Amino acid sequence: MLLEIISELLKLTVFAGLAFAGVLVILIWKKDLKTKVSYMRFFIQIMALIGLFYLFSCTNSLLLILFAIFTMTLILGRFFCGWLCPFGLYFDLVAVIRKRLNVRYWSLSEKLNRNLNRFRYVLLFFFIILPFALSPIEPWQWALAIFLTGPFKPISVLLGPVEPLVIPWRSVLKIYDLNISYPYASIITFYSGEDFALISVFVFIALTLASSFIVRRFWCRFCPTGASFAILNKFRVFKWIPLLRLNKVEEKCTKCGICKRVCPLRVTEVYDQKGGDIATSMCMLCLRCVEMCPYEDCLKLNMAGRTLFKSRNWLEPSKIK
Amino acid sequence: MEKVDEKKYIPEVSQREVEDLRNAIRAASSRLICEYIERMKKIWPNRPDAMQYFDEIANFFGIREKEIREAKEEGKKVIGYTCMFAPIELILAADAIPVRVSSGWYDAAKLGNRIVPVEVCPVIRSTIGVKMIELSPYLELSDALITTLTCDGMTKLSEILGDYTSVWTICPPRIKDSEQSMAFWREELKTLKDNIEKLTGTKITSKKLRSAIELMHKAAKAFRKLQDVRKGNPVIMGRDAMLVNQTSMWDDIERWTRKTEELCSELEKRAKEKVWACPPDTPRVMITGTPIIWPDNWKLPNLIEEANPQGVIVADELCSGDRFLYDPVGVDELTMDDMFNAVAERYLLPSTCPCFTSEDGNEDRVNWLITKVKERRVDGVIYYVVRGCMLYAMEYMRIKKVLDKLNVPVYYLDTDYTREDTGQIKTRVEAFLEMLKSRVEI
Repeated sequence: MLLEIISELLKLTVFAGLAFAGVLVILIWKKDLKTKVSYMRFFIQIMALIGLFYLFSCTNSLLLILFAIFTMTLILGRFFCGWLCPFGLYFDLVAVIRKRLNVRYWSLSEKLNRNLNRFRYVLLFFFIILPFALSPIEPWQWALAIFLTGPFKPISVLLGPVEPLVIPWRSVLKIYDLNISYPYASIITFYSGEDFALISVFVFIALTLASSFIVRRFWCRFCPTGASFAILNKFRVFKWIPLLRLNKVEEKCTKCGICKRVCPLRVTEVYDQKGGDIATSMCMLCLRCVEMCPYEDCLKLNMAGRTLFKSRNWLEPSKIK
Repeated sequence: MEKVDEKKYIPEVSQREVEDLRNAIRAASSRLICEYIERMKKIWPNRPDAMQYFDEIANFFGIREKEIREAKEEGKKVIGYTCMFAPIELILAADAIPVRVSSGWYDAAKLGNRIVPVEVCPVIRSTIGVKMIELSPYLELSDALITTLTCDGMTKLSEILGDYTSVWTICPPRIKDSEQSMAFWREELKTLKDNIEKLTGTKITSKKLRSAIELMHKAAKAFRKLQDVRKGNPVIMGRDAMLVNQTSMWDDIERWTRKTEELCSELEKRAKEKVWACPPDTPRVMITGTPIIWPDNWKLPNLIEEANPQGVIVADELCSGDRFLYDPVGVDELTMDDMFNAVAERYLLPSTCPCFTSEDGNEDRVNWLITKVKERRVDGVIYYVVRGCMLYAMEYMRIKKVLDKLNVPVYYLDTDYTREDTGQIKTRVEAFLEMLKSRVEI
């Protein structure tokens, strides 16, 4: 027993060490300030995929992981979407392919974008209400249903989509032993018959991947999982909690619009807002705007008042040696 | 390009008069360029050798004119522009030579009076006059002109210049922030791009645009370095830095970058050795307002740095100065579409031109001024306006209020393209510098 725990701990330590070494290698290797963080984010996204895979396969407790991510979101902000979500990694990979093929992306109008952002709460509501609608339960069971991942799985809307992605053998959908699990696919198959599921899952996968090829991170703009995290940052009561904050110095900003254009989610608040902490539930803290801002100290990522990362004059190569 | 036969604005001027005027002003101007450079050398005795190159390029009738002429014979096209809204990257990507053609000639402004009233901004009058007598080599060598409809003067200037040569007008929206403005501006530049492609016969491919953007990145890097050097104690006189800034407008940008890098490394060395261009307690002045254009309109910089007590220009907010190459094009993806949008945004959004307005006024200009005042430890600001430059003149109160809050004195200096008021302005500038000096000492 003790040996097992030690071996598990050793595995975790080795993993953490590898991740840390990888980040360090990127920091030293990448001299171009415009892509430094992007590379780091990619690496951490892949690490997160492996990490989640490991966690799912050994602890087997969705609720626990969910709780951990929930707490982290509460404290750090909606960074899960930008840095850890494997779903997001898929979209980013599609975007890389698109860039290689030299195909342009389409940008949605600001109004449509805002409406999509509102629509995510409708989706969230729908997914939570769905199990109750399909099989009515007694009111006294509701509380239990919300807190447990039972047959109804209402909460697993939040992280459930990730589950089949990281533990393929638990996925519902297999064709000739070929695993085609995909986020949200398990939910779709869970609530519908096999034949219908097969079609709907294919349609869903095709749509989300294709849309992310045309519009950057299209699904993320109204993903209900993101909504659940956004809610935490939306309520005024919680607003003071997030430790990670994007900060803008109004005077140094020349309003060149780069931050708005490079943002994969087209968040406009960074551009529109005058100085101070950027308050938006749409930002997923991918830091693309901070690394692309060409004005020194204009945009910053603060953690509890301490600056972790700030915009630099990226015309100069990195000074880290 | 074929000339339009019927002149809309230009009166008939006899060829002889044109030649006489051109020769006279050209001779006077050549002398003046040499004189100004001599004066700059005199004030800064240990002027670095790297400045030699910029002195040569600063001569309008010197090597650069010859180079452009030769390039033209080889089939290259020259595209002139009046405002810094013209996307240089697009011109470079089409293998054309960009040159800025706004004029600083005093004597030519009087010729412009024949067409437009005296109340019109002298930059416009002078540019018209220069074109009338075919004085500026760069304006004459331009195959086409890009004019921007920023202020009233520039708007009509594009019509008047249309009498001589083909003119492409681009119209920036006066409100920058909205989505529809950006869409409009993008369409304007797309039309411009087609025009450039038609003239040069070169298709602007994504590969070419990318290398043009990278070229301008390097130039912007050198440009920023030069501005950063001016942050500390003065290692370069303001006039010289302004001259370097200006030469980028007509020089071969690659060579200019190299030479500026050389100059910067020399200056950085001097900063380490603590060799100052003038005593560190010299009042640090910033100029803002109407563009100051080499060669003739060097009156104000000359007065400030030759005054007694002496001042040193550490920053400016002129579209012919610190602002010119400061903002880089931020390319996210190397697709044609994104690069083009990036170029379009770079030329519209960070501009601090007073032709823009928003609900908060011309906020970008205010922010630029505050940042520069703090960063360069500016002691006083000279708000330079030429008569007839309405937009800059009208924004004065707003800027003054902002700078008053920072406890930085501002001095409103209005003048014209004339040498007659030099003595009077000298007194005014010296009084202002005297006041700054006493503030510095406290």
